[in-house]
Amino acid sequence: MASLRRGGSASAFFLGGDLPDPQSEAFLAALERQRFRTIEDAASEETSVGWVCADDPSGESFPRETIDLDAAIWLQVRIDKKKLPARWVAIYRAAAERAAGRRLTGKERKALKEDLADKLLPRVLPSVSIVDVLLDPAHRRVLLFSTSKATRDEFGTLFRRTFPGVELLPGDAFHWATRTRITAEQRRYLDEVAPVKWPTQRRTEHAPPAETARDAIEVDA
Amino acid sequence: MSGDGHAFLGEEFLTWLWFRLDTAGGDFDLGEGRSVAVAIDDFLAFAPRDDDETEQTLRKGLPTHSQEARAALRNGRRLRKAKLIVAEGPLQYGVTLDGTTMGLTGIKLPEDSEECESAADRSREHAANFLRLHDLIGQLYGLFLADRLRPDYLSTSGERQAQWMAS
Repeated sequence: MASLRRGGSASAFFLGGDLPDPQSEAFLAALERQRFRTIEDAASEETSVGWVCADDPSGESFPRETIDLDAAIWLQVRIDKKKLPARWVAIYRAAAERAAGRRLTGKERKALKEDLADKLLPRVLPSVSIVDVLLDPAHRRVLLFSTSKATRDEFGTLFRRTFPGVELLPGDAFHWATRTRITAEQRRYLDEVAPVKWPTQRRTEHAPPAETARDAIEVDA
Repeated sequence: MSGDGHAFLGEEFLTWLWFRLDTAGGDFDLGEGRSVAVAIDDFLAFAPRDDDETEQTLRKGLPTHSQEARAALRNGRRLRKAKLIVAEGPLQYGVTLDGTTMGLTGIKLPEDSEECESAADRSREHAANFLRLHDLIGQLYGLFLADRLRPDYLSTSGERQAQWMAS
């Protein structure tokens, strides 16, 4: 059995609403509906995104002893992408142009690409990436072990498909602020708070007097 | 307003953290008898003041003590990213916090405890430590917000920070 990583990069999300109880059949059924499905034999350019777990990267099973880590549920998102290899398309196109003694027209290039897709794609293996996810239902948060925008978007789409009644909010400065112990008054102010415009100082031997600093700290309207 | 419109708050948080470390030390009281120690390690990146300025990055050594870092503060620049060491009791974490997105990169969890005898034990401990690190950063952010969202912030802590940045 693999163990969860000890380092890396993570993006946090917060949940608006409750996940189904991870011990329930409904939770496993939701995962299974959106489990990973292979595109190994696909004959077209495709992307497949779905849930798997560390012990079974095929997505066919989610053993509780693997996914339940007490403090969190450990899942993985598998993202497979099958694309026509650009280098092979260039090689076939060059050969076709040599044989024709001229450059291919746009229509001919399109036909060649479609022909190559039929011929090559069933033989091309998809690229595979697997990203760890920790679900913390008790604190309504998720850690996704990637900071790439594309991966966060793929994850967001999968999560919303899996748990349609649960809002997935980014763990940015605003949403994180709403999860801290600020007062109701501070929460209201949070909506309108603007950046402090710190004074730009010329090099001087002494710090400016307080009045100067106070005047300079104007909040942008 | 929400989301991206508040990215500046994460950058202000990192800059406040540096101000707080420099002027009051690295120990933070989290309440209920808990405290956390924070230090800035060997990586800083300053946010440009506007789209025309370049982002400035300082690596290795003690970047917080460098002339370049002081000059950036004097020019009113906020920290965009900083590599932090965060310690709670015997547990020490390393992490680079991106203030703009609040993403955590380069996370290093504490060494595995002696009780970890199997892959399952390690996974449980790592998961708990990832969540604990996220909690600690969130609690530090909460301390910053308690100060930053006060009505008199600009005339009190904000002014002290302005003087520190200008010094």
